[in-house]
Amino acid sequence: MLRLYEILYKHNLPIRLTMKPVQRLRKAVRQTLSFAIVIVLITLVWEGAKWLGGDPWRPENNPFGISHHPPFRWKVTSDLNLPHTWQILGAFGEPARRNGPPLIQILFAAAVYTFREAIVGFALGSALGLLLGGLLSHFRLLERGCMPYIVASQTVPILAIAPMVIIWLKAGWFSVAVIAAYLTFFPVTINTLRGLRSPDPLAVELMRSYAASAWAVLWKLRFPAALPYIFTAFKISATASVVGSIIGELPSGIRSGLGGAILNFNQYYISGPQRLWAAILASAVVGIVFYLLIALIEAYALRGRKALAESL
Amino acid sequence: MTQPVVTLSNLGMTFNAGKHNQTIALEAIDLAIQPGEFISLIGPSGCGKSTLLRLVGDLIQPTAGGVQVNGKSAQQARIDQDYGMVFQTPVLFEWRSILNNVMLPLELRGMGRSERQKRAQALLHLVELSGFEHHYPWQLSGGMQQRAAIARALAIQPKLLLMDEPFGALDEMTRERMNMELHRIWLETKTTVIFVTHSIPEAVFLSTRIVVMSARPGRILRVVDVPLTVPRGEHTREETAYFQVETEVREWLRKAKGYATHGLPE
Repeated sequence: MLRLYEILYKHNLPIRLTMKPVQRLRKAVRQTLSFAIVIVLITLVWEGAKWLGGDPWRPENNPFGISHHPPFRWKVTSDLNLPHTWQILGAFGEPARRNGPPLIQILFAAAVYTFREAIVGFALGSALGLLLGGLLSHFRLLERGCMPYIVASQTVPILAIAPMVIIWLKAGWFSVAVIAAYLTFFPVTINTLRGLRSPDPLAVELMRSYAASAWAVLWKLRFPAALPYIFTAFKISATASVVGSIIGELPSGIRSGLGGAILNFNQYYISGPQRLWAAILASAVVGIVFYLLIALIEAYALRGRKALAESL
Repeated sequence: MTQPVVTLSNLGMTFNAGKHNQTIALEAIDLAIQPGEFISLIGPSGCGKSTLLRLVGDLIQPTAGGVQVNGKSAQQARIDQDYGMVFQTPVLFEWRSILNNVMLPLELRGMGRSERQKRAQALLHLVELSGFEHHYPWQLSGGMQQRAAIARALAIQPKLLLMDEPFGALDEMTRERMNMELHRIWLETKTTVIFVTHSIPEAVFLSTRIVVMSARPGRILRVVDVPLTVPRGEHTREETAYFQVETEVREWLRKAKGYATHGLPE
């Protein structure tokens, strides 16, 4: 642990950021604990609602082996609409088809497939967003001319765009990535534009007093100042690109991703609602993993800054 | 006489010329600043002190007359980085450590890493920030941040230091301490300084000459010589000459304020 402390110090992390190992551990424990508490609370509310107004609990259907007749009968909490949490978790271990592999194996493969689409889409969209944001911030006239179309592009539903993209690019994971990129580039463009214009006018004057070139102003001042804005956009885009990938899979007829899985289990919902819930859970996990990945890179890229130090 | 560091000849600055909101910020400014001088610009708000400083630094261009810095045009002097600038706020880059902030102007000049690191460290020593190299700006107090900004301005070893109310945002105690330090730095580096301030004690303590300006249009009302010996210290503030200069500046400022409301007599 001491070595970690030394490394952090060597990389110019300020003293208050380089917390003592004990503090770090305490913080990690606290965060894990609060996360666990939220999960427990959600489960309690979920099962509590089913206890009050769900279908009858039969001993063979719950891990506690109890029998219970809820006092009310609500539609939303029926076993079909809201399966028991243990049924959803249990679904991961059961095969989705007779003699097939367990669901978790199918969902894992689907998640990896969708994640790849999302990452490529995110990369394409972010690159486009950074480029557009940079161009628009430099040329005000261009901003006035292009902005209405950029905004308009986001008012067209992705479901209308997706089939066209598939026709142009042929159905395949790459066309799905392009659809994901379509959702990704917008927040990155807007935030890059905003961030590049965020520096204090005095800082711009300071650079001018150094007779700094336009490139130097961009790389030494505007871009670093824009980074917090850009990372905020990245976090939005990371989750949006997962959503874009899942939706993009539907019209392209791709069955290997999470979109395909969701569509499939949606069709067989009556016979196994817990499988759709499991697929939704898997999609959420992909989104969270992507988000955390970006947050991790952000923590490195923005090390030393005040806003970050306070959030740690 | 040696060549002046800064020569202002019939300098004028009019904003929004010809429009309904035309403002004459500066008019008929003549001033020659000799090497090693410490010049304070003082006057009522809106008298164009900061405008004058920005004209010298070529951050804006005059509408009349001319500025010469080290015998060159202001623009050439800026390109040659003949001056360092300190603003009212430190304007440190939050993503750079203190050391990296001080190294910024050297980096832009293309100086090698080890050399600029050495120079920056020496400057941080000069402003008594040794040991804070790897801190980030937000971890330092306002006074310390401003000292880092001074170190950054001095990094390119300029002949001229332009300071725009650098201690305006600091409390009185910190301000007095910063005055002492600036005085010491000025003596050590022999840099010519143009210093914009609102504070009479600060101007008297630091300056060799004080330029009292009137507002709208901004003109030089009076240049007051400060006959105090150097080095100055706590004792300076108790000298008779100190009070005399302070009184003189205050009287001229009162006149300047009068003109600000009633107009300058022709």
